[in-house]
Amino acid sequence: MSTHIERPRYQCALGGALVTINSIERAVAIVHSAPGCAASADGAATVGGGYWGTTLTDGRATPSTNILEREVIFGGEDRLAEQIAATLEVVDADVYAVITGCMTDIIGDDVRAVVGEFRKHGKPVIVAETGGFKGDSTVGADFIWEAIITQFVEKGLEKDPKLVNLFGFVPAQDVFWRGNLLEIKRLLGLLGIKANTFLTPFDDLKDLKEASRASLNIVFSDVHGVKPAEVFEFTHGTPFVSEPLPIGPTATEEFLRRIAAQLKVDDETLERVIADEKAYYYRFINPLTDLFTDQDFQRFGVVIGNANYTFAVNRFIADDLGWIPYFTAVTDLLNEEQKQAVAKRLETIPADLRPKLIFEADTDRITERLNEQLAQEDDPYGTPISPAFVIGSNLDRPLAAGLKAAFWGVSYPITNRIVTDQFYAGFRGGLHLVTELISVLVSNR
Amino acid sequence: MGLKEDKIVPGREERVAACMAFGGCASGIGKQDKICLKNNERGFSQAGLCQLLPTLGMLLTLPETAVIVHGAIGCGSTGFGMNTSIRLHHLLRGNPNAKDSLWFSTNLDESDVVHGGEQRLEETILAVNEKYKPKSIIVMHTCTPSIIGDDLVGVIEKVRPLIDTSLLYSHCEGFKTKVWATGYDVAFHAMVHGFIEKDKDGPPPKKEGRKPGERPIVNVINLASMGKPDEVELERLLNAIGIDVVIGPNFADRETIRRMTQADLTVSVCPTHDDYLVHYLNTEYGIPCVLKDMPIGLENTRRWLLDIAGNFGLENEALALIEAEEAKVKKGVEKYLPALKGIKVFLSAGEFRALVTGGLFQELGMEIVGLRSYHHDDFGTEFYDRLIEAQKGKDFPIDIANFQPFELVNLLKKVDPDLFCGHVFDNAWAARLGYPTITIFRIFDHYVGYRGFYEVAKKAVRNLRNHAFNAKLSQNVPEAYRKEWYEKSPFAYIKSEAA
Repeated sequence: MSTHIERPRYQCALGGALVTINSIERAVAIVHSAPGCAASADGAATVGGGYWGTTLTDGRATPSTNILEREVIFGGEDRLAEQIAATLEVVDADVYAVITGCMTDIIGDDVRAVVGEFRKHGKPVIVAETGGFKGDSTVGADFIWEAIITQFVEKGLEKDPKLVNLFGFVPAQDVFWRGNLLEIKRLLGLLGIKANTFLTPFDDLKDLKEASRASLNIVFSDVHGVKPAEVFEFTHGTPFVSEPLPIGPTATEEFLRRIAAQLKVDDETLERVIADEKAYYYRFINPLTDLFTDQDFQRFGVVIGNANYTFAVNRFIADDLGWIPYFTAVTDLLNEEQKQAVAKRLETIPADLRPKLIFEADTDRITERLNEQLAQEDDPYGTPISPAFVIGSNLDRPLAAGLKAAFWGVSYPITNRIVTDQFYAGFRGGLHLVTELISVLVSNR
Repeated sequence: MGLKEDKIVPGREERVAACMAFGGCASGIGKQDKICLKNNERGFSQAGLCQLLPTLGMLLTLPETAVIVHGAIGCGSTGFGMNTSIRLHHLLRGNPNAKDSLWFSTNLDESDVVHGGEQRLEETILAVNEKYKPKSIIVMHTCTPSIIGDDLVGVIEKVRPLIDTSLLYSHCEGFKTKVWATGYDVAFHAMVHGFIEKDKDGPPPKKEGRKPGERPIVNVINLASMGKPDEVELERLLNAIGIDVVIGPNFADRETIRRMTQADLTVSVCPTHDDYLVHYLNTEYGIPCVLKDMPIGLENTRRWLLDIAGNFGLENEALALIEAEEAKVKKGVEKYLPALKGIKVFLSAGEFRALVTGGLFQELGMEIVGLRSYHHDDFGTEFYDRLIEAQKGKDFPIDIANFQPFELVNLLKKVDPDLFCGHVFDNAWAARLGYPTITIFRIFDHYVGYRGFYEVAKKAVRNLRNHAFNAKLSQNVPEAYRKEWYEKSPFAYIKSEAA
């Protein structure tokens, strides 16, 4: 049973599908919906994603049928066919993805039949029904991935034992998806593993077409991208593993060891890579030790964000920074099974450092739940978690102000800085995160 | 019909025969059949906006309001972006501690689509009222509840007696109109019905005539996109000739909006934006209006001021002010004129803004070589002719397009201007082609009146002086469209169908 949500921090299913297509080089979306749907969906992501912005065929250049009352009454299939044909004429792309909005799904346009006609003539058009009421961005991303996997990726190719696909990233929902993917690709490359990232501006659509060559799919989430990975396994026979997003030396080392074991990387390479990367982290961290210890930069952590980030950040601040995770709010709209998966993952953090976990999409109710938690603490001065640090999104600044806590935004939406190739994944990503967090603490000096 | 009687705001294609698709010469647009223009469509189209977005942008400016977007989770997902902009507005207005805007989604899902969303809406209104005690609650009705048949007005009228807060509502389903500027009308409709017509205190009575010696009060209709510096400039000019102003309804509270019914004159800053509200104040409160110019550029500002002054017998005061201000600003821009002389400029924005800014550029010695308007209606028609006349009959191509950047880049390559001046989200297309660009306005900048004239000149010279960012960028970006597209007319996909 859904409820109303104050200041929701995602777009609808259409939005998640749209930003996924927009992140794939030489792919273009054809939105079959009312005017405004595409603008709302990617307009939110392209600003809230650290001013991700637009490039060629996204934003206001997104091909869109812009259907009106006439189509809602009489059906929009003819208009869609016209728009697909015209898009093939005008826009220079290699795959065209038809995605739909609420009204076309409600009125029941047979979009698969319309797209089927183009496919019959060999046109690279795929389709997913992504009506906004079907869920949030992450659901829409899953829909379009399933469409790509079943309608675009080639079947029957020979597997490459050292090739993996990276999944589980929803562009803008992970504001740092590009940087994170590139860093994970770099790390795996050091182990001799080639990783397909698909969603960076440096990817080749050919790798997506031939993604079925991969021997393993790594899904960097316990919830997002899992369903497409199952579809992938069923369609192309590639198994998958769910891995938490690795941030910082402890999590990343474990991640590399698991993948190395799975893909039979030799020990010598593995140990050398881990040692080198760990040294990179600690040779920058070591000189900061005076500052850390003298200034007592340990904090109670309040972490708010999506399922992928909350665990990854809590783990990093607990394992590497030596902070005390206190409270964490997962803001995705998840079903019971997904909630269990997220909770189970959090249980890998030792009980005495495990934060109180809530699932809450409504920004204001997060504050309420945190205050309830604080009210239960026995503290004569009313400051049970001071000094605290809130790591969340821009929407959580008022919560941090109420706590008199430091604040840094790493989750969607981020509108007070721009994000290009920054990343938090890996050893170096952990270094970036600690650099930013501590910079906040010294920013008034 | 009018704002008071309209249960649902008519789309602008119906109300003012607005057109969204036309390509041709500036000289031709006034001669086109309006009905044909209105029915023009595109066989290839790119994402526009829907009327919900400008409606949301305006209504979120109301202080301490709570906006409930009734629909699926994505509608209104740009709320935080608008919140950012509104925060900046408040900063400029000397109000750094303004609370964040509140907005909610009723989050209709698949089950609600089957069972209806009225109960969720009712619960949400009551819960929001109880928890946040906002000064007003605004409900925005989107496509999904409209198609499944939720009775918005029924829910509103059921809840209205139960709560003490002003309750506003708007039908702003995206599929109901192709002209998103209808959203301005929808926002005015919501404000007037919520704060005046259906207000708990009822509509304020009509004002009795002005007493002798009393300074006239005029309403200046502001825009959600209008910055504080521009409001200050307009207030300064009107105060200087003996007129007091009430600025609203954006960023205004209930009391200010109600006070607008007591003015002696309503002044529009952008006719195409304001006419629905201005006519309401005229019909219901007998308040005369000035609704034909935008105070941008010297000539338009002069006409705007004289029109207003004429209502109160203050022409001499206005002329003296205009003379002094023009002398000051002409001296101020003197040093910029050599760099601007003969510069060929392409404009892109809402029709009225684009046209009057064109006039401003001409006064600075530049030539208009192309213009893109987001839609076309009658308010603009005579201004196209004025621009042509001002450059000695030199015609130029125009594109009436709700964005459609594929047409814009095609046209730009053919026109090859020296400078591009566009609304936000337009400039990037020209920048990627390497043209110098200036953004038409930002909320931080002076744009209207005399100060605006000076600042626009300065900004243009600055951007013409070094456009290395755009020039280098253009050598490093891929192409979105097929080569064949550029061999065609930019208007090749505009279809004219008989009504």
